[in-house]
Amino acid sequence: MSQEPQSPAVEETPAPQYPGIAALIHKKLPSIPFVATETKDNVDLRIGPENLLELARGLKETPGLDFDFFNNLTAIDMQEEGLYAKYFFASYKQHHDVQVTVVTPPGEPNIPSLTGLWGAANWHEREAYEMVGLVFDGHPDLKNLLLDEDLHIHPLLKAHPLVKAEIVQGIEDATPGFKF
Amino acid sequence: MSIWPTEREYIAGPEDFETVDMTINIGPAHPATHGVFRMILTVDGERVVDCEPFIGYLHRGLEKLTENADYRQAMGWWDRTDYLAGMSCEMAYCMAVEKLAGIQIPERAEYIRVMMAELSRIASHFIAIGSFGQDVGSFGTSFTYAWRERERIYDFFEEVAGDRMFPTYLRPGGLQMDLPENYEPRVRWLINSIRQGIDDLDGLLTGNEIFVERCRGLSEINTERAINLGLTGPMIRATGYAWDIRKDVPYSVYDQFDFEIPTGFGTGDVLDRYLVRMAEMYQSTRIVEQCLDKLPGGLVLHPDLPKTIRIDDAECYIRTEGTKGEYSVYGMARGGNKPYRMKLRSPSFCNLSALKELVVGHYVADAVIILGSLDIVLGEVDK
Repeated sequence: MSQEPQSPAVEETPAPQYPGIAALIHKKLPSIPFVATETKDNVDLRIGPENLLELARGLKETPGLDFDFFNNLTAIDMQEEGLYAKYFFASYKQHHDVQVTVVTPPGEPNIPSLTGLWGAANWHEREAYEMVGLVFDGHPDLKNLLLDEDLHIHPLLKAHPLVKAEIVQGIEDATPGFKF
Repeated sequence: MSIWPTEREYIAGPEDFETVDMTINIGPAHPATHGVFRMILTVDGERVVDCEPFIGYLHRGLEKLTENADYRQAMGWWDRTDYLAGMSCEMAYCMAVEKLAGIQIPERAEYIRVMMAELSRIASHFIAIGSFGQDVGSFGTSFTYAWRERERIYDFFEEVAGDRMFPTYLRPGGLQMDLPENYEPRVRWLINSIRQGIDDLDGLLTGNEIFVERCRGLSEINTERAINLGLTGPMIRATGYAWDIRKDVPYSVYDQFDFEIPTGFGTGDVLDRYLVRMAEMYQSTRIVEQCLDKLPGGLVLHPDLPKTIRIDDAECYIRTEGTKGEYSVYGMARGGNKPYRMKLRSPSFCNLSALKELVVGHYVADAVIILGSLDIVLGEVDK
């Protein structure tokens, strides 16, 4: 009986791929773990909330990266996957841009605020706070922006109804006597 | 002892003279706020020491509505964001849907889209400058001059699409219909009329010493700070930094045109913002002219579009140069005939968030001018 020599079991982990701008970011900031994927038109870096502040500071202040422009923040309710905060950073100096996805697990919507790095983050974070309920730790003035001050609802959650009668009913259940 | 105050007391008041800060509410319905916008100014004498803006009076839940509508149905809400330039909003939305679905649109449609977007830009800037002149004190005249040209542009939109402010002329995949037969002489006449209108406004305002002295040196900001605050469009160009998405991250067929990016003199003050808008209108007429010269023939709508657009997992971020700044759309699809998430990065929203920093330290009367120079449109701020 011939028996093939058994090789010790090696966990085949594929080497992480760094498409486009992600390769440069990984080279400049090797200590920050992220998963890079390609979207339709640019590169997406997926990180946890604990790494956001470090990555953002690195992106902004590392020479060669120079992401000086806080372009956009999109908050998305991914239902059972939790809430996503999608940042879009761009660089005027280097003409490149990147998307950063911060994944918060369900029930833990806390994320560090970037208002200390970019003044532009202020209103974007307030909007994300009221629309889906992400809580930005360290934000100087986290309160409703587009909605009424007393209205503690998060309209862009997928569970939030679209029809007015259901919304009013929901608010009255939560805060009796509320006048809509 | 004299009953008259000494010279020192006359200028500065007695030493124990107590002053209190006063709070002034402006808006939400106030002619100077250009829409339903409210700000609370805290003033020390005539100087503004604090400013808190309140927005959301026109919030219509654009993003929630878009999530609950078919890709084509949602179009009509998007040209109600920047309601002074409906066509360019439609263009950004359609580009996002096309990018998600991977639809190529005919070249003729691209050129017509650019032409419409530039005409919208001119109409929007006319309103911006006309109403800004009114803020500064040119009662009515500048507004009437601007309105005349804007009406002519909207008349053309009506001929093309059947509606003036909310044309819904674009479709994911191209355009609703082709241009009317007599479009070419019509647009050439329009360009001449616009250039005459620019000259008229230029003579009325730029040559007016009172206007210039009122605006010069007001609310200065440097490029670095402007970038940090997220200012885009004419606001960033006024600081002397030549950045324009049309040139630097070209989309559609903007790389086919020869035009310049006007910039300010580097101080980023209110006068610079006005001058940049003025020069931009002229550059836009150049683009429209080149569109007419280069307009190719062919279809205006992709011939093989599905009846219902269904898109599997995809996401994209479309950056366009809107009339007020960078008008970008984030789109995410996860199957089905509705988007999972559509987010608008509206330039007015981002420019307005810097209002406090721009206004503090200036006179109350100038706060209105500074707000006018931001050129906000509340449909876009409040979504």
